[in-house]
Amino acid sequence: MIQLRAVTKKYKNNYALKNINLDIVSGEFVFVTGASGAGKSTLMKMLYKEETPSSGTVLIGGINIANLPPEKVPNLRRCMGIVFQDYKLLNNQTVYDNIAYVIRTLGISSKEVNARVTGALKVVGLLDKIKAKPTELSGGEQQRVSIARAIVNGPPLLIADEPTGNLDPKNSMEVMQILDQINQRGITVIVSTHDSSLVNYFRKRVITLDNGEIIRDIQAGTYE
Amino acid sequence: MSNAEQTIKGKVKKHIPKDWLCEFRIAYRIIKEVINDLKRTGIVNIFIITTMAAILTIFAALFRTTLSLSEFASQLGNVLEISVYLKNGTDVNTVGQRIKAVDNVVKVKLITKEESWNDLKHQIQMPDISNPLPDTLRVKVNKPENIKAVLDTIKTFSGVEDISYAEELAKKIQILTHIANITMLVVIITVAFLTITIINNTIQLVIQSRKDEIEIMRLMGVSNWYIKTPLVLQGAFYGFTAALIAVIPLKIVNNLLLNVHNFFLVPSPAMAENIVVTSLLLVGILFGAGGSFFSIKKYLQV
Repeated sequence: MIQLRAVTKKYKNNYALKNINLDIVSGEFVFVTGASGAGKSTLMKMLYKEETPSSGTVLIGGINIANLPPEKVPNLRRCMGIVFQDYKLLNNQTVYDNIAYVIRTLGISSKEVNARVTGALKVVGLLDKIKAKPTELSGGEQQRVSIARAIVNGPPLLIADEPTGNLDPKNSMEVMQILDQINQRGITVIVSTHDSSLVNYFRKRVITLDNGEIIRDIQAGTYE
Repeated sequence: MSNAEQTIKGKVKKHIPKDWLCEFRIAYRIIKEVINDLKRTGIVNIFIITTMAAILTIFAALFRTTLSLSEFASQLGNVLEISVYLKNGTDVNTVGQRIKAVDNVVKVKLITKEESWNDLKHQIQMPDISNPLPDTLRVKVNKPENIKAVLDTIKTFSGVEDISYAEELAKKIQILTHIANITMLVVIITVAFLTITIINNTIQLVIQSRKDEIEIMRLMGVSNWYIKTPLVLQGAFYGFTAALIAVIPLKIVNNLLLNVHNFFLVPSPAMAENIVVTSLLLVGILFGAGGSFFSIKKYLQV
């Protein structure tokens, strides 16, 4: 599913990522851990082409996205769900409209949009909040809406950049359990986090970054 | 390669054609986006449209006046003729054919020496003397500015005794036409500049107010053209509405000019009002959409 080969990202004299080599197969659940500034976010951004490597190749589904022309980037992003620490919801729109936004731009019928949105909301357990505005929801609920939006287009890959960074332990656990359930449906899930308790609880593959380098890659690992 | 990988490869690389219903739904969504953007811009819409309407009114009034000036120049130009006086014993048909073949010559009319003499005798009391007048060819040229070139060519023909034409009048007509054309060019450039500046600032404000939303749309994989099109249409809408408003003062200018044409017994240029209204709408829409397009390129990194 994902292959990174000799990926380096350099900002002036600082290396955000150094010679990263990584393989993630379809259906995997991967935690990317490390201290702040270790390169987690840069790595995640590289996967949805918000960042471009200074050198090396990033293959997703066999396509080197480092060379992907700008007009194809939206196509790539529609093949994956992206979840952010700050939710990135449109506060002036309802939960339904937030989730439906992207699929509506594809010309999908209202009936189909409705089916997909309610399906996604069922997965995250927020069907009763369908008409609420994000500002009326708790942080945990907002993040669940963000997850529903990420899966509404049925992506084979979900990228979550610090999804529990703004949440309390209870909500963090709930969000992570939802991501785990999504993974069990066959979707590849990559989560960057520095929440050791969650990593230790779920026992998934753990990739640890330090100063832009992979220092550890363990199956069913812990945070350490 | 797994199914998931194939799905990604297929969706990223290939263009998946959409059916007409799908395209219709997208168009509907885009129109809804435009309406939402206009609602959000609020009262500022009125200021933008009013300012643009004022600019387009100046454009329309000057354009319509230029058309009238051109018509006056053209009518005056029609009375301009070159008189070519021939030497005695010259074959008028041969010289006439040669002149007809000169570029920009529209018509050549022979006035025989007898006709000229009879005309003169009609106008003034003449003593009974032999006819001293030469055969004359009246040459009509398509445009006043071409008279000089035609004149210089004819001068070289054998059998031509002398040439005369209303040089001062021709020069004035030429200057008048030149001024009308230059004025129009300056007006179009000024209108383009002002319209694009206004639209540019407006769309910049819209982009700033929607910065977070556009960022989210971009990250979620909304197509660049889907983000840009409503903004371009918004600019086009401003231009179109302003042009429609500018049609009202244009009507007044048109009526005033018709009175001037009637007074001087010069026909009004054919379809002048329709030409100006069509140009007005086209300029409004094109400059509105164009201004928006350039603004998006400048302020929106998608």
